[in-house]
Amino acid sequence: MFLRSAAASSSTIPKKFFEVHESRLPNGLQIRLLPDDAAPIASLYTFFKVGSRNEQPGITGISHLFEHMMFNGAKKYGPKEFDRVLESRGGRSNAYTSTDLTVYHEDFAAEALEQVLDLESDRMKSLTISQEILDSEREVVKEERRLRVENEIVGLLDEELATLVWKAHPYRWPVIGWMGDIENISKEDCERFFRAYYAPDNATLYVAGDFEVETVQRLVGHYYGDIRPGFARAKVLNSEPEQRGERIAAVRYPAQAPSLMIGYRAPAANHPDALTLDLLQYVLSVGEGSRLKRELVYRQSVAVSVSMDWVWRIDPGVLMFYLELEPGADPERVQRALYRELEKIASRGISELERARALHNLRANQLRELATFGGRAHAYGNYEIFLGSWRDGLSLSRRYQAIGKEQVRTAAEQYFAPERRSVVTLEPLAARSR
Amino acid sequence: MKRGSVRLREFSLPPLFEFQTSGGLRVAVARRTGIPLATVRLCTWAGSATDPPRKRGLADFTAGLLRRGTRRMRAEQIDDAIEFWGGNLGTAASTDYAALQVSGPVEHLPKLLEVVGQLVLEPAFPPREVRAAKARLAAQIANDLDDPAQVAGRAIERALWGDDHPYGHTVDGSIPDVEAFTRGDAVGFHQARFGPRASVLVVVGGVLERSVRAAVEASLGRWKNASVEGPPRLPARRSPALERVALLIHKPRQTQTQVRLGALAFAKGDPESFAAEVLETILGGVFTSRLMQAIRVDRGLSYGASSSFDSYLAGGSLVISTFTKTESTREIIEVALDQVAKLRDGGPTAEELSAAKTYLAGLFPLRLETNDSLAAAISELKLYGLPTDWVTQYRQKIGAVASEQIVEVAQKYLIPERFTYALVGDAPSLLRQLRGLVPTRVRPLSDLR
Repeated sequence: MFLRSAAASSSTIPKKFFEVHESRLPNGLQIRLLPDDAAPIASLYTFFKVGSRNEQPGITGISHLFEHMMFNGAKKYGPKEFDRVLESRGGRSNAYTSTDLTVYHEDFAAEALEQVLDLESDRMKSLTISQEILDSEREVVKEERRLRVENEIVGLLDEELATLVWKAHPYRWPVIGWMGDIENISKEDCERFFRAYYAPDNATLYVAGDFEVETVQRLVGHYYGDIRPGFARAKVLNSEPEQRGERIAAVRYPAQAPSLMIGYRAPAANHPDALTLDLLQYVLSVGEGSRLKRELVYRQSVAVSVSMDWVWRIDPGVLMFYLELEPGADPERVQRALYRELEKIASRGISELERARALHNLRANQLRELATFGGRAHAYGNYEIFLGSWRDGLSLSRRYQAIGKEQVRTAAEQYFAPERRSVVTLEPLAARSR
Repeated sequence: MKRGSVRLREFSLPPLFEFQTSGGLRVAVARRTGIPLATVRLCTWAGSATDPPRKRGLADFTAGLLRRGTRRMRAEQIDDAIEFWGGNLGTAASTDYAALQVSGPVEHLPKLLEVVGQLVLEPAFPPREVRAAKARLAAQIANDLDDPAQVAGRAIERALWGDDHPYGHTVDGSIPDVEAFTRGDAVGFHQARFGPRASVLVVVGGVLERSVRAAVEASLGRWKNASVEGPPRLPARRSPALERVALLIHKPRQTQTQVRLGALAFAKGDPESFAAEVLETILGGVFTSRLMQAIRVDRGLSYGASSSFDSYLAGGSLVISTFTKTESTREIIEVALDQVAKLRDGGPTAEELSAAKTYLAGLFPLRLETNDSLAAAISELKLYGLPTDWVTQYRQKIGAVASEQIVEVAQKYLIPERFTYALVGDAPSLLRQLRGLVPTRVRPLSDLR
């Protein structure tokens, strides 16, 4: 049966996604405008090329703590004003910090666009850093760390795994920072950080949604044009030594069941193998019918859940597996089952069916991501940072299709080698009842 | 630059086409082009509120098993049929209803609908799959008990509604009940609860009505289980004998307490909903809300604090959620309840009221931006029998909310003395802090299994 469709076939990316107006202000600020009047709303994403990889020991977590400080007042809009003004005009804001990036985003009623540019440029231009607000925000971040790491098993394992995988690179410490370092960050540290990284020549704006291109171009020039470029930024060194064997650690903590987090050293996003690993990730863990879910969860019933995490990074990254087990299960048995599956791919490769399935899912998930204004602005920002340009992002599908089965097998053989592996096991401590 | 109130640009929903299958299934189709993907969502009055006694979790368990094999397809064939083309399938229960949702390339819609039809009409509940699903679900609940926020969620449902109320347990159920499930339980639940007259089907995407009509009739037209009528009859409120105490779940080695403060509120469809949504925005719905300002911005006590009205078929609740280091637990409770009382007694300021309304109206199109979110919104309207203008006229309805209405809702539900507490953390320290504040009952984590 064939269904008549009013839309294009899923094999093409809608034409309007290619309409991107690119420009650059004399101070170095990059601007990308993605007009689309599908709904009377818009999203602004501001990408700063700074994350925990730009930090040093002693002030780990400063990029994240600083992200919090950005909401606490500047010259025109003082403390508590940013969100008050934005929300009262029909907008909302948030931000996130990763190892490589800090991204601020606002979604808002289309009418509020000028207001949003005024707010966002004000804090890039003239952020106020007061000791009192820094101390209060530090407490908020400590609560966030208690929430995400100290009282959360995945957070505990993740933090342990990073210190195993990396010995020298800043990816070794958590994005939120060590508790002692969060305590240690000073007002002066924040000021230096702001002057170096929160500068127009280290930022790109993405605006997607319902607006007139010329109007926004004029407004961006008006609000951002007089911001001075930043101070010199230190180069991030990658002195990570070669790994010469499997690394193993345990976390002992009160828990109902054991779990495992396993990482393999992987390449940087701009390495030719990165896209092959995207495809491999889809074969292994995306969908109920993916290899690992089918084998470990449904056929062998050795894990309750399995997920694989592989994200693009500026420097060489990690392929990560997280497995939840039944209470009382033997983590070594699960490890053997996982390694068997990975070895199978390294020796026999994947089937044509698996390859086609992964390609279809990569494509469909990209369309899902591009379907919203916020998703589109965010995706284009990532494409530029990690692939070089947004055009490379929109041609991903073609590049994935060029990856053959043998290429996938070779990548599996190389990257799933035991000497690239680090393993963290959660060993449950029996809860003593009071 | 001009400041002040904003005039919002017009916004309209895609046209909605509605029809019924010959078996009586109500279908709504929203035609939306843009990306070449479509979403199909089938909702049935088979939520966790209809879990039989001592079979908590059966609704979700049954919904999950629908995809683990039909008379014509094994589980792996179902996964392959959906996922090969980039589709994804979800089958799960929520409090009032079970939802079966599939999204995928629009040109494969007939295939997706055919699978949906098989799942609903011909589930096989293979014995091996039933056994494996039981073990998985029990183990998943155990794993979830290691997450303090999830534990707090389980605790507040129980504390608010009481053990015996259909809303007094979470959707995933409890380990002892799950371990006793039989294949017959799932088969019986499916027969008793799934029927076309107790369901709605929504399709969103770049599709034409007559093509969808033909495809739906082909896949679901023969669904005729007329004995099942929805919605189920549920008791409106917990028994009044339930005492108000703080339920304190002891979780060893916690350095932070998860705090939930709740009260019962109104059911789905209540005309108070719009005023309540504005009130919730002011209390704890946004960053500039009173709770967030008092707890995070002014005192650095937490990373987050929020409030939310949730409404269901037979009732609803207002729950405040936050967390703080163990030592400041009492302080955070007092600050939160103080904000509740202040808002009840003083009402919102004119500025707060105007800001909250602009916020909700301005961002409303975002809530319907994806095919999935539009399908979810339409299916709720149709299932609960709410007027379509709850969505199409949402901005006008929010705009019309008057200050007096907010005060009325606030005085009805923002009553700290009637709030129920659920806390998860280090019990010895918390017991000392709570002395004199509220009678406290300490329970081990194992109580929530």
